[in-house]
Amino acid sequence: MRAIPLFALLLGGWCAIPAYADEAQDWLNRLGQAERQQSFQGTFVYERSGSFSTHNIWHRVQDGKVRERLLQLDGSAQEVLRIDGRTQCVSGSLVAGLGNTPDSTTRTLDPQKLKNWYDLVVVGKSRVAGRQAVIVALTPKDQHRYGFELHVDKETGLPLKSLLLNDKGQLLERFQFTRLNVAVPTDADLQASADCKDVAQDPDRAAAMKTTWHSDWLPPGFELTSSAARKDPDTRIQVNSLMYDDGLARVSVFVEPLNGANATDTRTQLGPTAAVSRRLTTPQGEMMVTVVGEIPIGTAERIALSMRSDVVAPQ
Amino acid sequence: MSREALQESLSAVMDNEADELELRRVLNAFDDVETRETWARYQIARAVMHKDLLLPRLDIAAAVSAALADETVPAKASRGPWRSLGRLAVAASVTVAVLAGVRLYNQDEIAGVQMAQQSNQPGLATPQVKGPAVLAGYSEGSETAGPMANGVLQGQPGWHDQRLPNYLRQHAQQAALKGTESALPYARAASLENR
Repeated sequence: MRAIPLFALLLGGWCAIPAYADEAQDWLNRLGQAERQQSFQGTFVYERSGSFSTHNIWHRVQDGKVRERLLQLDGSAQEVLRIDGRTQCVSGSLVAGLGNTPDSTTRTLDPQKLKNWYDLVVVGKSRVAGRQAVIVALTPKDQHRYGFELHVDKETGLPLKSLLLNDKGQLLERFQFTRLNVAVPTDADLQASADCKDVAQDPDRAAAMKTTWHSDWLPPGFELTSSAARKDPDTRIQVNSLMYDDGLARVSVFVEPLNGANATDTRTQLGPTAAVSRRLTTPQGEMMVTVVGEIPIGTAERIALSMRSDVVAPQ
Repeated sequence: MSREALQESLSAVMDNEADELELRRVLNAFDDVETRETWARYQIARAVMHKDLLLPRLDIAAAVSAALADETVPAKASRGPWRSLGRLAVAASVTVAVLAGVRLYNQDEIAGVQMAQQSNQPGLATPQVKGPAVLAGYSEGSETAGPMANGVLQGQPGWHDQRLPNYLRQHAQQAALKGTESALPYARAASLENR
């Protein structure tokens, strides 16, 4: 068995491929622009623990307007129609009482920013959906986020495949095109079905208030992108929600008063998404802090422990 | 070969201290039912000592034998640089077979127990998996299995049962509604609805 380390060493040296960081940035820039410039249509699969689904996508860029329709092909026919990043309609089960967030900012991939937290390297070539692709690895510089492996289409710069990997290199989720072509979708392709219900544009803006919570600690690079305090339509309980991201990974924090409810601390992992709930004693009473995000569970735990209320004295 | 010698070799293999000769001896003897039973007994004894959860129902011998059968045995006569390389390759493929066996085994077990949730509540009657079943001293680290294997949201009655699915959905949908970079956040949100 002593031969094994030697074998691994040989294999390791063999696999090391010269890395060009600037090249990786160029590809990510192309990827960022491609979806605002390139029309396409295709089919992709999404896989994570306990779930495998197939979807169609139609994406048309015309006169500077981006129109996109997504439709799940197996199981329930879940559907989304977006125009310029704003959701117009979604099918029944997807909506779940959530409108467009008023302060939603359109995000684009920013390699300059990302390279502070990830090593961006072109690691090779591949073939996805019958097309030539370049593999860009985004390896986290700390243990607070996951790594990505993006397969970027050589011809268009579109992402053909995206893998999320943990620190042991284990696959957490897979997004992969099985068919893609650059034919411009027709009006009929982009016509939502009758089941697709209109999304009210920020319906509860008046009801939403400023959050009174903040985090004492976040992983480097994570910034607050949106926050609100609104009443849950079912429970009538005021829930503070905050959302953070580092330009790639996202974390949501929900804070809700327990009002004497019997609930315990829990930790859950659902494919790429970790969810950690922790009780917190505040001057306003017992609170439950829940952190949900595509980050390692230890990081989620630490964020949960770092949430603080801005309200100093009991009201 | 005497029974004692074989049992000694078995023990060495289990403790990950066997040399190549011993490993081969054990693998050859694995066709014998009695040897397999001895192996299983050793595993149970070891598990009891280590307080590991273990159900010795996996027959890794079959996988290993298959790997060996596919191997071309390096010719005895040939003496040269290639000789050692051949041995290397055999050793490597045996390791792969053993590891693959362990991995399959773990995933079976996870599917059965549906571990996804850890709760700190002492009174909760949720079955908890203590750790991976460790076979033959091969360990996969702290993870119980590949993360693709777990992740079924367990039906835990009470507060979290009500709130967590809602929070997961809100997180995914916020990301999906916001994100323009790809269809990935949308696919994540959709996958939550497929339960």
